[in-house]
Amino acid sequence: MRALVVNYGVGNLFSISSALRRKGLEVDIGTELTNSYDLLVFPGVGAFSAVSKFLNSRRDQLNELKESGSRFFGVCLGMQVMFQSGSEGGRSEGLGWLKGVVDKLVNSPKLPHIGWDRLIETKPSILIEGLEGKYFYFVHSYAAYDVDNDYVRGFSVYGVKFPAVVEKDSLVGTQFHPEKSGASGSLFLDNLMRWLKR
Amino acid sequence: MTTKRIIPCLDVKWGRVVKGVKFLNLRDEGDPAELASRYEEEGADELVFLDVTATVEGRGTLLESVKSAASVVSIPLTVGGGVRSVQDASSLFSAGADKVSLNTAAVENPNLVTQIAREFGSQAVVVAIDAKRSSSGWKVHVKSGSVATELDVVWWGTKVVQLGAGEILLTSIDRDGTREGYDVELTRAVTSSVNVPVIASGGAGKPEHILQVLTEGGADAALAAGMFHDGVTTVSAVKRFLLSYGVEVRP
Repeated sequence: MRALVVNYGVGNLFSISSALRRKGLEVDIGTELTNSYDLLVFPGVGAFSAVSKFLNSRRDQLNELKESGSRFFGVCLGMQVMFQSGSEGGRSEGLGWLKGVVDKLVNSPKLPHIGWDRLIETKPSILIEGLEGKYFYFVHSYAAYDVDNDYVRGFSVYGVKFPAVVEKDSLVGTQFHPEKSGASGSLFLDNLMRWLKR
Repeated sequence: MTTKRIIPCLDVKWGRVVKGVKFLNLRDEGDPAELASRYEEEGADELVFLDVTATVEGRGTLLESVKSAASVVSIPLTVGGGVRSVQDASSLFSAGADKVSLNTAAVENPNLVTQIAREFGSQAVVVAIDAKRSSSGWKVHVKSGSVATELDVVWWGTKVVQLGAGEILLTSIDRDGTREGYDVELTRAVTSSVNVPVIASGGAGKPEHILQVLTEGGADAALAAGMFHDGVTTVSAVKRFLLSYGVEVRP
């Protein structure tokens, strides 16, 4: 199976690509968005405004791919851009695939939120089987608010409770970085592979 | 509350891990990728990779070492040493670094902190501060600790956060390599003045030191090198010790 890690032009794409390759995916890094991939990955690097600008310029193409059944996996910021809008670096539009807005974490002792926290309140899904209570690595200052709880598969807490895993039809997103979450991240990616083959 | 992090540090010189005392007398401790992998297995929460000689000798950072370490570990990797431009940072990110650490360059060109933060996000920018006690508080030192500046450490800490740093790596030069314990007073002075995570560094010799800097010092993470390289203790032993004192860490 083949995956494309979408290259917005900034940041570490090496780690997510290596992690997906370890799970048996053939991985390209690039900007050629086509339906020849089994999975399109939005990596968790960069700033919201820059990344949403990049993706919005390819909006029609992305919507078309989504309509035709392409699967998408967004990590951290890569998940955040699937929501309606974000406030990092000025208010900017997201892809609007998921209901919710991305805003600064409130009631937080320190920002960015950097470190390992538990996945809690998980709902049955192939994606998070066996992962309730496990620790994942987070590094972010923003999170999704006003979301539709129907597609949240697990939360985490840092000052506030925020969605850590979302799943809606052909879309999956994680606020944590599975590629940086050691053994539990590896388990999540195993689950992602099962979801992909389903 | 986020768990406290234990971060082994790999000081790298010419592609090997080395360790000195008060930044001098470097000894060989092994292959970076091998050590990185061992520490992940032991439960390290992150790794810091410092090219200790990059600034002094004017060399670029060791991208190859970063790549080989990044391809074997699946925990975050911070890389510092000789980062002088957005391009240097960009090359490190491409090689698999999650964060870059700026030290001398941040002092010489504070705007660089802002530029990198704007492009890659604050979470990707760590400012490393090497602190040494003087008659009037702690002073920032640069170029691997060899050059003193007039900058007050606490002032500089608050300044770099304004500039866009997402984290501070605070090293006590006085304690580095001594294994006499972290400078808790220094750590407390900085953690109580900034609202970003602080990694305490310099002086770890036993698990008690780590407990002390995480609790009394208010540090979010503790960095240690020699103590782990020499097998005085292990990351997992430190974590068991911390858990027994009620400090939340990833088991």
